[in-house]
Amino acid sequence: MKVSFFETIRYLPPEPLPSEWPVPSGTYDREAGAAAFRGVMERLEYVEQLGFDWVSVSEHHYSPRILTPSPIVAAAYIAARLPRLKIALLGPIVPHSNPVRVAEELAMLDNLAQGRLIVGLLRGTANEALTYDLNPAEARQRTDEGMELILKAWTEPHPFGWQGRHFRYRTVSIWPRPLQQPHPPTYALGTSRESCEFAARHHLGCGVSYGPFDVMARATRYYREQCARHGWQPTPEQIVYRANMLVADTDEEAHALLRRQPDQAPFVMRAGVREAMMTLDSRNIAGQARSPIVTGALPTTFVGSPDTVVEQVRRCREVVGAGVLDLSLHPPGAGDLEPLMRALDLFGGKVLPRIRDL
Amino acid sequence: MSETGVREGHVAGEGAALVHLTAARGSGPTPAHRLLAQRFRVLALETPGVPASPEVAATLAGTLQSLGVERFNLMATADAAPTALWLALHAPERVLAMVLEAPAPMPAPSHEASLERRLPGLATPTLLLVGTRDDVAGPAPGRAYKALMPNAHLVFVYDAGPAVGADRPEAFAEVAIDFLERREAFVISRAATVIHP
Repeated sequence: MKVSFFETIRYLPPEPLPSEWPVPSGTYDREAGAAAFRGVMERLEYVEQLGFDWVSVSEHHYSPRILTPSPIVAAAYIAARLPRLKIALLGPIVPHSNPVRVAEELAMLDNLAQGRLIVGLLRGTANEALTYDLNPAEARQRTDEGMELILKAWTEPHPFGWQGRHFRYRTVSIWPRPLQQPHPPTYALGTSRESCEFAARHHLGCGVSYGPFDVMARATRYYREQCARHGWQPTPEQIVYRANMLVADTDEEAHALLRRQPDQAPFVMRAGVREAMMTLDSRNIAGQARSPIVTGALPTTFVGSPDTVVEQVRRCREVVGAGVLDLSLHPPGAGDLEPLMRALDLFGGKVLPRIRDL
Repeated sequence: MSETGVREGHVAGEGAALVHLTAARGSGPTPAHRLLAQRFRVLALETPGVPASPEVAATLAGTLQSLGVERFNLMATADAAPTALWLALHAPERVLAMVLEAPAPMPAPSHEASLERRLPGLATPTLLLVGTRDDVAGPAPGRAYKALMPNAHLVFVYDAGPAVGADRPEAFAEVAIDFLERREAFVISRAATVIHP
């Protein structure tokens, strides 16, 4: 099992913030922000020493929860300062972006990182459609087309044009090309039928997140079936599972800590917007309709003592088939570092060595 | 149908001549043809089962002459692409620009006729349209022509199979018309992005 550390910057607001998304930009505290960004490298150097395989960053906007609206900027900074960890961009929100620009930036980053880049391409959470005025009804189609164009820009030998549904270019010919050939290891992130089929058709990995093992297994099973239909089988490392983990000395302590965590998501869209959004933003797990998580906190999949968590990881490997865990050892939006560092010590000392060979 | 196997098909529209070569028999006008016919007089010529050669190209040039078509734009689909290329090589001054839809691979060269040897000298502006879901010829022939021809432009039509014009008629017609009207300058965008003046 490979292990990835999900880096979210960990902003600790000096005062409570409004709970609605978007969070007013004027409430950003520069000192708290500077401290959060200062702390990143010290933490990640430790993460690297502990033997993690990847550090991951993701794209979220207009809230302090995950302070990497441009994950490429974060990844370039991290890659320059760590020699060994792979840098996983999970990922650029494709339907927002100019796909050619994404292909260029990722190729450049793969070169800067000397071939340590891992890429996850995705559609983004429902609220992100509001960020750059994306029509949520078009998000799925723009994602599929944008992903295909990114792969084309990385691999096509001659200048080409693109006559798409949502994107049109007459001239594409990127420099530099990615260092890794034909391109960095790439995952289509999401449980949807469309995402699994896209990944299978283009020989990409598949990434799922947060849901229960049996539900996520429906998506990964569908992905493997589609891969077989296209005549290949993914390796375990081509299935990533992103999850929250709460590890403590004992099961009792872990569950007590879990009970103290908020059960509501930190920043949510106001009800009228949320409801209108839900009518436009259809999602599915391997073709079965699912409702997105909109107000509840993200579940914590792995909870307990090191022994318990090792067993849960073994089950995840068996049921979901994941060969990479992308972990938050403390809720991704929480800025208090002490519990995170304690969990990192415990995970690095008592869990990581035992899940390595699962 | 002439004794050389060339058949005249449908004619539609008015304006400059656009000759469409297909190797298929009895193919009617597609939705893309109807869009093209708004700008051009589209003349379909079928060459079913006729292998591409300089001789067939000479016959076609004669057929078009007898139809009163002196200078023309040329479009060819799939297996007819090599024939279109021979026609442009045979009468470069008559072929204004070319669109090759899902072009078939270059035929193996014979002793006296090698497209591979001749194409680097063909300056005709040529648009190569390849569907991203083309699992018949795939992108390889388009890339090969692009690499050989000094004035070729390769455009992928997203989500289209080998029948690009049937699968994405508006996308096909927009880029084909733009290329035939502006040739190489079609790479310069004219799309307006002003939301409110």
